[in-house]
Amino acid sequence: MTRKEILVKLRHVMKQASQEHIDWNTVIEDATIESLGFDSLSMLDLIYDIQQEFDIEFEAEELVSINRVSEMVTFLEKNTSP
Amino acid sequence: MKRIRHLIEYAFARLGLAIIDALSYERARAMGIRLADAWFSVDKRRRKTSINNILKTGIVSTAQDAERIALESFRHFACVMIESLKSRELLDEQACGNEIKFDFPNEFKAALADPGQGIILASGHLGSWEAAAQLISRSKPVVGITRDLNNPYTNRLMQKRKPSGDFRLTPKHSADTSRFLETLKKGEILGFMIDQHARDRGMMIDFFGLPAATHTAIALLHLVTGAPIYFGHCKRGAARAFELKVTGPIVRKASGNRTEDIKSILEDLNRLLESAIRNNPEQYLWAHRRWR
Repeated sequence: MTRKEILVKLRHVMKQASQEHIDWNTVIEDATIESLGFDSLSMLDLIYDIQQEFDIEFEAEELVSINRVSEMVTFLEKNTSP
Repeated sequence: MKRIRHLIEYAFARLGLAIIDALSYERARAMGIRLADAWFSVDKRRRKTSINNILKTGIVSTAQDAERIALESFRHFACVMIESLKSRELLDEQACGNEIKFDFPNEFKAALADPGQGIILASGHLGSWEAAAQLISRSKPVVGITRDLNNPYTNRLMQKRKPSGDFRLTPKHSADTSRFLETLKKGEILGFMIDQHARDRGMMIDFFGLPAATHTAIALLHLVTGAPIYFGHCKRGAARAFELKVTGPIVRKASGNRTEDIKSILEDLNRLLESAIRNNPEQYLWAHRRWR
């Protein structure tokens, strides 16, 4: 998957897990995870959805320490590459 | 005005603790039961909530039976408080006269013995939950989640009292995801009380056949980490007799349907808690508003 494809898919997954009403198509890589309304509970929802949608296994705490969307995309780029 | 009220409450709390500290466990327990009887007579709101909750569940059908269970429940709660405040004396491994029975499945024993295996332990406000956590923490550290008291002075006072064993409490407000994950990663036990009202962030799950807002974090943590969930509770027999029973594990593979996966785990947990309560209704905290 390209970085752009990952970002598009990630926006979709975030929309499912978040409680916030945001125009998710406008979320840029520079956005912080906190600014998108993820708290401790919705973060667990997000981890579940990422594991399922991207079909990858990872240690949940690796994702929790991430602050920005760009870092999350990089993380997924690394973990989804064959 | 609020500060004055807090200071008055704090003074009473200090006095109460000083009296409890000066008494033996048996005497403190007897005093607690007498106070519970008085509290049951005076606190109409909680008495009514308890009786209504008991009748709602269908455990008994008459108001008279429900009132009897409610009174026992108040006395039981007083005993839980005394056990908590006197835990270092009561649960001391060298203490005389303690009769503690453990009923653990082999998988749980193996998980306790494995230093790298994190465990999610579900329980409810049933039996001697404080004693249970402290007893299990002799085998593996236990982290429980607690809510700070509204009174900051009393809160600080209570936090200074150290429980026995390797049992730590994490305030609910700072119980972020990374703390939960870190506890499991370190091979410790993360304890959850599954019968707390989850307000608008929970999932409606049947509890005694009635929908109750239930916290989802316990199920999600299992699904994303794979740490096994066990259900445990501790029945109190005589004053120093405890019977700790653990069942499980509950293990689920994520199916891709988050809502259904969570629901299925929480339904199992609520059923286990329900069944344990039916066997011991007098030792459940009926005074809290589980169904709102």
